[in-house]
Amino acid sequence: MTNFIDYLLGGITSGAIIALMALALVLIWRSTRVVNFAQVGQAMFTTYVALSVRDVTGSWLLALIVAIVAGAILGMIVHLLVIRPVARADTSGVIIATFGVLIALQALAGMIWGGDSRGFPAPVDNAGIEFAGRIWPFSVYDVLVIVVTALLVIGLTIMFTRTNLGLSMRASAFNPEVARLSGVRVSRMLAFGWVLAGMVGAVAGVLIAPSATVSPNSFDILLVFAFTAAVIGGLDSLVGAVALGVGTGLVISLVSGFSDSSNAPVVALVLLALNLLLKPDGVFGHHKARTV
Amino acid sequence: MLTVTDLSVNYGPVRALTSVSLTVPPGSVTAVIGANGAGKSTLMRTIAGLEKPAAGSITLNGEDLTGSRPEDIVRTGVALVPEGRSTIPDLTVEENLRLGGLWRSKARRNASEDRVFRLFPVLAERRSLRADTLSGGERQQLAIGRALMAGPQCLLLDEPSLGLAPKIVTQILELVSQLARETNLAVLLVEQNAVTALRVAHTGIVLHLGEIVKVGSAEDIRSDEELRHAYLGY
Repeated sequence: MTNFIDYLLGGITSGAIIALMALALVLIWRSTRVVNFAQVGQAMFTTYVALSVRDVTGSWLLALIVAIVAGAILGMIVHLLVIRPVARADTSGVIIATFGVLIALQALAGMIWGGDSRGFPAPVDNAGIEFAGRIWPFSVYDVLVIVVTALLVIGLTIMFTRTNLGLSMRASAFNPEVARLSGVRVSRMLAFGWVLAGMVGAVAGVLIAPSATVSPNSFDILLVFAFTAAVIGGLDSLVGAVALGVGTGLVISLVSGFSDSSNAPVVALVLLALNLLLKPDGVFGHHKARTV
Repeated sequence: MLTVTDLSVNYGPVRALTSVSLTVPPGSVTAVIGANGAGKSTLMRTIAGLEKPAAGSITLNGEDLTGSRPEDIVRTGVALVPEGRSTIPDLTVEENLRLGGLWRSKARRNASEDRVFRLFPVLAERRSLRADTLSGGERQQLAIGRALMAGPQCLLLDEPSLGLAPKIVTQILELVSQLARETNLAVLLVEQNAVTALRVAHTGIVLHLGEIVKVGSAEDIRSDEELRHAYLGY
C-alpha cells in the first residue's frame, strides 16, 4: 500500500508535464488539424536555450522566460516556414513535415550543444520531503511544477473562455468559414495557435528537465505519452488533455513501479489502441454527428 | 447601395454565373429566386468573398469589394448569413453573437446586441445556452443576429427557409423586412421558396442557369404566370 501511494505521488509531477505537452498538441490540432510531432523537438530546443541562459546568468526564472519567448518564436518559424507552405500543397504531407522538423531540430541541437546528456539544476530542492518519519517521493520542486502547470492551465482557460482573442480562436477552430464571415482573421489565429503551443511546450521542457536529462533525444518518450493523453482525451478538448495527461502520468508511474519502467511506453500504446477501438472520439471528445 | 456589375464566376470548367448585374438599394428587400442550381448561393458566396469572380465587379456605396477577403468584406459592411443556419453549435448564444462584431468598439457592439435582442427576444432568453440546444427557427434567428452584430449596411440572406416551417420563415423574414425599412438596411435575399420570398421583398430577380432572366417588382413577378411556370415551377 505504501508502494502504491509512493508511485501515485511520483506520477503526479510527470503527469502534469505530460498534460502540458498534450495541451500543446491539442492547441495545434484544434486550429490546424495536424498532430505536431515536432512539439517535443521544439521543447527540447528551447530547453537547451534555457540551459544556456541558466549557465550564463544563474537565474532559473530568467531561463524559463527566455525559453517561453524562444518557444513562441520557434512555433511561429515552424508554422510560417514549414507548415503553411506544405499545407498549401498537400494536407497529408503536413504530418510528415512535422517529423522532418523534429529530426532537423534534433540534428541542429546536436551540432550546437553536442550530443551528451546534460543535467538541468532545479531552482528549489528536488529531494523527497521528510514527513511523519519517512521520506516521501515528493519534493518542493514537484510542488513548483504543479503550481506552474495549474497557473498555466487556468490562464489558458480564462483566455479561451473570457477574451475576444480566445473566442476568435475557438470559432476559427470550430468553423473557419463562419469565423471569416464574422470578420475573424483566421490565418492569424492559426499562426497564434502554433505560437501558443510553442510557449506551452517550452514550459513543459524546462519543467521536466531537472527530473530527467537534456539531450537531443531525451524528450522523445514524452511525445509517446503526450500523444496518448491527447488522443484519449479527444484531441479537441483542453480539459481532456489535462485530465488524461495527469492520468497517463499516474498510470506509467504505477506500471514502472510495479514492473519495470521499460514497460510504460507499451502500456501507453495498449491504452491508446484500446481507446481507438472502443471510443475513437476520445473520452472528452464529442461526436461530430450533431453539426448539421 | 450594393452594386454588382457583369459578375461571372466559374467552378473549374463550369460556369456558375454569367454576367450578372444587380443593385440592392438600402431600406428594402431584394429577392433573388430560382430553382436549385440556378447559381443563387454562388452569387451570395462571391459577394461575401468566399468565391473569387472570373470577371465583373462588386461595390458597396462605390467602394470596390471585388476579390477582397471575407473578413475584410464584412468589416466594410456586407454581412452574409450562409445557407444552413451558420451558428457554431459548441458556442453559447451570446458567444455566437459576440463573434459577429469582435473588431468593433464595445459601445457599438453593445448597441448592436441590444438591437438584436429587441428584434429576436428569444435570443436574450437563451443567451447563456449552447447554440445546439436551440430549435431550427431560433438558430436561424441567431445566425441573422450574428450577421447584424457586424453593423452591416448590406445583409445577405442565403436560403433562410431551408428546413424551417413556412410560418416561422415568414415571421423571421417579416422582421427582417421591417428592420430594413427602419434602419435603412439593404437586404439581398436568396430563396428557392419563391412564394415566401416575394411576399416580403420589394424587388424580385429571377435567376436561371446562372443568368438573370427577369427583374421586376415583387408584385409583377408574382402575377406573371408564364414566368412562374417556366422558371419557378409553381
